[in-house]
Amino acid sequence: MTAVRDEPPLVAIFLLSAAALAYEVLLVRLFSIIHWHHFAFMVISLALLGYGVSGSLIMLFRTFFLRYFPAVFFLNILLFGISSTGVFAIVQGLSFNALEILWDSSQWLRLLLTYLFLSLPFLFVANTIALTMLRFDLQIARIYSADLIGAGVGAIGIMLLLTIFEPATVLKLLAFAGLSAGVVVLRYTRRQLAAAFSLAIVASGILLLPTSWLESRLSDYKGLVQTLRIEGARHLDSHSSPVSRIDVVENRQVPFRNAPGLSLQSPVGPNEQLAVFSDGDAMMTIDRHAGQESPGYMGYMSSALPYQLGRQFERVAVLNAGTGAAARQAAAYGSGRIDAVEPDTQLTRLVSETYAGYSGWQQFAERIELHNTTARAWAARKKHSYDLVVMGVPGSSTGGAAGVYAFATDFDLTVEALESYYAMLEPGGFLVISLWTDTPPKGSLRLFATMHAALEQSGVTQPEKQLAWVRSWNTATLLVKRGELGNEEISAIRDFSESRNFDLAWLPGLGEHDVNRYQLLPKPFFYMAARAILSGQGAGFMENYQYDIEPVRDVNPYFDDHFRWRSLSAFLALPGGSGIAMIGAGYPTLIATLLQAILAAVVLILAPLLFLRRKLHTDGRLRSRVVIYFSVIGLAFLFIELSFIEMLTLVIGQPLYAVAVTLSVFLVFSGLGSLTVQWFMERKGLEPAVLLRWSVLSILLVTLLYLLLQAWLIEQLMVLPTMLRILLAVVLSMPIAFVMGMPFPLGLTATSRTAPELLPWAWGINGCASVLSVILAVLLAMEIGFAGVMLCATGLYLLAWAALPQQRVT
Amino acid sequence: MQMKQLTLFLVLIISILSVPAGIASDDLRASDPRAEERAGMIAEIEKDVRDTAELINRRSFDRRVMDAMGSVPRHEFVPKNQRRNAYDNRPLPIGRGQTISQPYIVALMTELLEPEPADRVLEIGTGSGYQAAILSKLVSEVFSIEIITELADDSRQRLQHLGYDNVRVRAADGYDGWPEEAPFDSIIVTAAISHIPPPLVRQLKPGGRMVIPVGTRFQTQYLTLVEKSPEGEVTTRQLIPVIFVPFTGGHQ
Repeated sequence: MTAVRDEPPLVAIFLLSAAALAYEVLLVRLFSIIHWHHFAFMVISLALLGYGVSGSLIMLFRTFFLRYFPAVFFLNILLFGISSTGVFAIVQGLSFNALEILWDSSQWLRLLLTYLFLSLPFLFVANTIALTMLRFDLQIARIYSADLIGAGVGAIGIMLLLTIFEPATVLKLLAFAGLSAGVVVLRYTRRQLAAAFSLAIVASGILLLPTSWLESRLSDYKGLVQTLRIEGARHLDSHSSPVSRIDVVENRQVPFRNAPGLSLQSPVGPNEQLAVFSDGDAMMTIDRHAGQESPGYMGYMSSALPYQLGRQFERVAVLNAGTGAAARQAAAYGSGRIDAVEPDTQLTRLVSETYAGYSGWQQFAERIELHNTTARAWAARKKHSYDLVVMGVPGSSTGGAAGVYAFATDFDLTVEALESYYAMLEPGGFLVISLWTDTPPKGSLRLFATMHAALEQSGVTQPEKQLAWVRSWNTATLLVKRGELGNEEISAIRDFSESRNFDLAWLPGLGEHDVNRYQLLPKPFFYMAARAILSGQGAGFMENYQYDIEPVRDVNPYFDDHFRWRSLSAFLALPGGSGIAMIGAGYPTLIATLLQAILAAVVLILAPLLFLRRKLHTDGRLRSRVVIYFSVIGLAFLFIELSFIEMLTLVIGQPLYAVAVTLSVFLVFSGLGSLTVQWFMERKGLEPAVLLRWSVLSILLVTLLYLLLQAWLIEQLMVLPTMLRILLAVVLSMPIAFVMGMPFPLGLTATSRTAPELLPWAWGINGCASVLSVILAVLLAMEIGFAGVMLCATGLYLLAWAALPQQRVT
Repeated sequence: MQMKQLTLFLVLIISILSVPAGIASDDLRASDPRAEERAGMIAEIEKDVRDTAELINRRSFDRRVMDAMGSVPRHEFVPKNQRRNAYDNRPLPIGRGQTISQPYIVALMTELLEPEPADRVLEIGTGSGYQAAILSKLVSEVFSIEIITELADDSRQRLQHLGYDNVRVRAADGYDGWPEEAPFDSIIVTAAISHIPPPLVRQLKPGGRMVIPVGTRFQTQYLTLVEKSPEGEVTTRQLIPVIFVPFTGGHQ
């Protein structure tokens, strides 16, 4: 039917891999907008099992697929084009409601269908790569390098595309990128006219597909959707970036009034505000400037604490300034110069440019200076510069309380972070952090424990004399002075709390009768925690607390993860299943994802063996080697890659650049590593086993070296200018990525030499292991930190070395 | 022989006595075909209350509250496609991104308000009108504010049609409360809020109570009870946990 040249279609593989990786990132973005980010993580992780399905499928129909290789290859390209847009439209039509999943059994079916549909585009791309490797088994490493380099370019490409276009448009563009691979391989097909015609039909179909079918239809239960239903709501703005979708809503009829933790004694609420939604939820607000600037309602929030101490602040830093509420609070209290630090340029632009008239920004422009960087990067460069450093209440209370951010890393509230904020203070200065509280309290208690650890690390010997902690019914404000709190300050804090009906949770000289007076908790948890931690009993208190509130550090920066296995049985034993709410959504989602992935992986790996039991000539030992080798290198690769990306996120400062740059560099340099392996095998005639030994030893050496120097490196890099930091981060990732690109093609080459029929199986196993790896890496990092995860990876590489499938036993 | 006659007599007596009950039950079924399901729902709520006695500091709810729960036809407050689930002890989606709360939560919130027959109650967030209907059975007047006009219109009509004449529904911003009718003996807030609106605190009578559920539409995580002392001092109290999902305890 068709003929093929003797060269693998490397350009097509490059294009398809680029499109597939970009598509994966796009789906995470889209599902974070439509649903919630923890759910997006689960759905996309499982959809990636399409790679595992591909291995099993090719193993079953290997002979047929190879006979019609060019046609099958071409068909898979067409199917990627169709499915990448089609399944998204179908999945939106399933009307899945993640919130109802515990109540409505039909949601499980919808979820299963979501996985199945979304796995299709990945299946088709995986088919093209695995089939090419099978067909051109002497050039596996070259093919793999095209795959990796393509994916690396896709990682950068999707960031650019999402910066320029809306997600619905990007969806179509990625389908075209995939179909362009079809144009590249047209010349290999015999019936070129028919092939070209089918390509044209599919491309026109996608082009003509109504954009409305591909537009994100947000869950009915997201804040933005609910807000827009209210009479008078005007959708002013919607802008999508690779990080988030920002929507701005105004309502003059029913104005927004956001004032976290406003005192019940406040005579007034906020004036009119604009609402700013991130990914359709997590509402922040911009206050309309009311002419005369006075604190007004802001004086009745717990975050007003530092301004009651009888001091006028000359230099203030507001970290994670968001839409500027805390900076305006500082300005309203007459602070001198204010540095507002916010990494998300979309947000700062809204306040200072797009809605500058609304927010009255010109009034503040002289005093407030915006800086687009992270709190950590700013803190590293600004030592002893401020008399007040403030970190405001984050956007919305709902996410944190529901625990949905449990597996999102947060480098802004680690021991090292708090230490660096403390170091920003001049003697006598104040560091103030306000957080939403939850019931029972978790995040606020962790903040206190982390702050205590940071102060100890900063050489503070009597932290109890420097701390004050005040809480409203849903926020808590922690204040630290660089120096001991004076009597006047202590009495000012008491007066402030008393007059606002806030509860004191810690203050020098505080007694049991002073606490839990206005916002009554079943027990005075805050005071109990503070007293225990400050009196050296913290370890025991934290050990016995039902949630994990231990301090978090840069190596395990999961501030919102409070899950404890040992509390699980106690929660589940609560009457009527009422403990489910106590567990939170994040961690169980992660575990549910892992269990589903394990189940699917086992089925996918075992299925071909059951069907082909009689046809396989390989013995059990070799098959075991294939399973072990490709599982462990699948696990190990992503263990190291993920840990590296997280650590470099901290160094680079901007999560967007960090992920795009490191992912891209990692993939491209792994691709180059794979290409080098090909060169050594072809030109130097080196055996895979020999090359594997060198690559594993190099991985061990580079990883251990990195682990040894990590803390020092981060400290050195953090103070450098952004571009230099990015450049050095790239340089840092190159060596490890380069050597990590080697074991997979070496294993495949070894397998193709000993048992070629197992090649697709090996590919599938590696695909499944990669999916499991991401989930396991997060779970492990929560327990043992990124350094531990990387050490585990080195152990896995050693295991791979021992398990290389190289002897054929028939 | 005598034994046989005695047995026959007993059977006759029992069957005669059971006739009125049977007739009454048939009557009830004819006029209220879902009464049995509602009774089942009440039994589940009572079981939940017993199960959570320690957490909510009470072993049972006020008889009046339970009677109100047992008499309001919940199926009239949900869309047609949810009517078969109307008496499941679970929250139900009612369209437009709204839900009708789990019956146990509705009962608990009503109980926490400690409603008296002469009370005037303000509700922020009418939704389907179910909570207002329950309250209307227990107090003299219910003032309910709904921010979405269509929802307010629908529930006003529904409540009128079902004969809940002491409920007034207004489409407005709940933040400002209902100053013309203030003060209120109790206030129930079912909307997500970043702070307790000062106007609502002002419109609460001394000695009054305000209940605020916190969580998502399908998961109430805890309830905040705001109490204003006779002297006007305001305190909050948090009750945890109050969510029930159908994992254990046979709630489905």
